Amino acid sequence: MDLILQPVLVDTGEEGAGCLVFANGWLVAVLVRLSDTHEDEAGFWFLEKGFGKLDTPDPPLFSDLPTAEQWIKERLMIRRPPRWPGDPG
Amino acid sequence: MVGRFVENLELYGRLSDDDRAAVDALPMTVRRFDAGEDIASEGDAPTQCRLLLSGLAFRHKTLSDGRRQIMTFHVPGEVCDVAGLLLSMDHGVCALTRAEVGFIGHSTMDTLLEKHPRVMRALWRCEMVEAAIAREWMVGMGRRTAYTRIAHLFCEMYARLKAMGLANDNRCRFPVSQTHLSDALGLSVVHTNRVLQQLRADGLLTFKSGELTVHDWPGLKAAGEFDAGYLHLRTPTT
Repeated sequence: MDLILQPVLVDTGEEGAGCLVFANGWLVAVLVRLSDTHEDEAGFWFLEKGFGKLDTPDPPLFSDLPTAEQWIKERLMIRRPPRWPGDPG
Repeated sequence: MVGRFVENLELYGRLSDDDRAAVDALPMTVRRFDAGEDIASEGDAPTQCRLLLSGLAFRHKTLSDGRRQIMTFHVPGEVCDVAGLLLSMDHGVCALTRAEVGFIGHSTMDTLLEKHPRVMRALWRCEMVEAAIAREWMVGMGRRTAYTRIAHLFCEMYARLKAMGLANDNRCRFPVSQTHLSDALGLSVVHTNRVLQQLRADGLLTFKSGELTVHDWPGLKAAGEFDAGYLHLRTPTT
C-alpha cells in the first residue's frame, strides 16, 4: 500500500505544520507536528484526525513520520468485511 | 476525629449540635494511601465507608487495555463510596495525592443515619449532587468544546474547594496531571495541553505545579458556561 503525504497548514493554534495522508487516493489521516509548548513531545507527530480504521478515541503520537506511516499502514491492513461495493476496506 | 466530614455535610443540610457531636464521635480506623493507589476497587463489596480526611481522590473506571475514564474528583470531607452502603463497587476510587482515609463500619454508619435523620438527608443530598455533577460532565463530554470543558472543570473544582475552605486569594491546590485532566474530560493530552495554553493566553488562569490561580473569575465562568446551581451549595461561589 502506498501512502502519499501532502504538506498542509492546520489551524490548531500552534505552528501549523501538518500533512494530509492519502492511501490509494483516500484521505485517511491528518498529522500535525507538535510545537515547543508540548515540551518533551515537541517535534512529535500527532494523529490530529483519523478516518475509518484510523478513527480512535486515543490518537497516538509518533516520534517521526516514518513511524507514523508504519502505524497507519498496519492499521489499514486490518481486514474488515466490505460495507458497500468499492469500500476501501 | 472525622476531619472535614461535618463541614462537608453542612454544605448540604443543617445539622443540630447533637448531630454534629454524633458525627464527630464516629469511630474509625485511619489508613494512608499513596498517590495513584486505589482506595476502593471495582468489584469490592465494602463493609466500611471510606471518608477522605486529607488529600484528593477520584472515581474511575479502567478498561482492560488500561485506558481510564475519571468520573469525578473527591475533596476532603467527602465519603468516597456512599453507594457502597447499598451496592457493590461498580468503579474504583483512587488517591490523586497522598491521602488519609477514615474507615467507618457500615453498621456504625447505619446506626448514625437511623438516629440522625438530618445527617442522612445531608448525605443523601450530597450523593444527589454527585449525580448532578455526573450529568454536567456528561453534557460537557457530549456537547461542549474542549476549551469550555476544561474551563468548566476548573470552575467546578475551584467552587468545591472554596466551599470547603480549601481555596484562598483565587488560588487552590488541584494537583492533577494533564493525563488526569484528559482522562476526566475525554480529551487527548495534546488537546488538553493546547487548551491550557489558550486559557493562560486569554488571561483566565494559570495552572502550574498543581496549583490553580484564577485571574478572571467572571471570564473563566463565561468560558466554561459555568453556573454553580448544579452544585446546590448552601454558600455558593459567585
